[in-house]
Amino acid sequence: MKNNTTLLRVITYVVLISTTSILINDIQEFNFEQFKSFASWSKSVNKNENWFTSKNAIMWSYYIIITALFFWRGYLIYGFTHFVSILKEIEKENYFSQKNINYFKKIGNVFITYTINVLVLQFLLSVIQGASFNFFKELKNEFTFLIPCGLAFYLLAEIFKRAKTLKEENDLTI
Amino acid sequence: MPITVNLDVMLIKRKMKSKELAQKIGITTANLSILKSGKAKAIRFSTLEAICEALECQPSDILEYKP
Repeated sequence: MKNNTTLLRVITYVVLISTTSILINDIQEFNFEQFKSFASWSKSVNKNENWFTSKNAIMWSYYIIITALFFWRGYLIYGFTHFVSILKEIEKENYFSQKNINYFKKIGNVFITYTINVLVLQFLLSVIQGASFNFFKELKNEFTFLIPCGLAFYLLAEIFKRAKTLKEENDLTI
Repeated sequence: MPITVNLDVMLIKRKMKSKELAQKIGITTANLSILKSGKAKAIRFSTLEAICEALECQPSDILEYKP
């Protein structure tokens, strides 16, 4: 079991590092040029005009959504860090602990919230840009596999909850 | 739980210590304490048999149903 835990820990760290490297790569490839127009727009804007106009609101929303989509990946990495906490618990031989159940639920929450939020943000972005938004096409994107993954983690949390009760009963059978 | 364990009463009757009983039936004193305090969720037939043999009594002398 110890060897398996070490192997799992190595795999988890590899996944974490690769996810972080993807994020860093995204930073590198992120088109900062689009913010140049934002900067020039903010410089050229008439300060005497009322700042809260529908045009300004759309402009602000566009940049906020783009930035949110970018940083939202960090939330996904936060979800992955829970795997390390689960492995730590397994190393202590606390297989069916309440902590593990909570971590599984948290991972499920992160995966589902991440996917839903990305879908919502992309929908808002397409509305602002005036582009068409095909929900089913977006669902086919690579990140949507996280929804079944998240549901699987919820299921795992329920299984562990049941296993915890059974273990407690077994421990208290004399 | 309406099932109560009267192990303490039987131990006094037989003038036996908990530690001695635990050694005779082959369980830890911690587990015997769980059984005596009523915190146990279940009891194995093998344990019950060993207790009855060690205390020379019937299961009904140890377990009682109080609705």
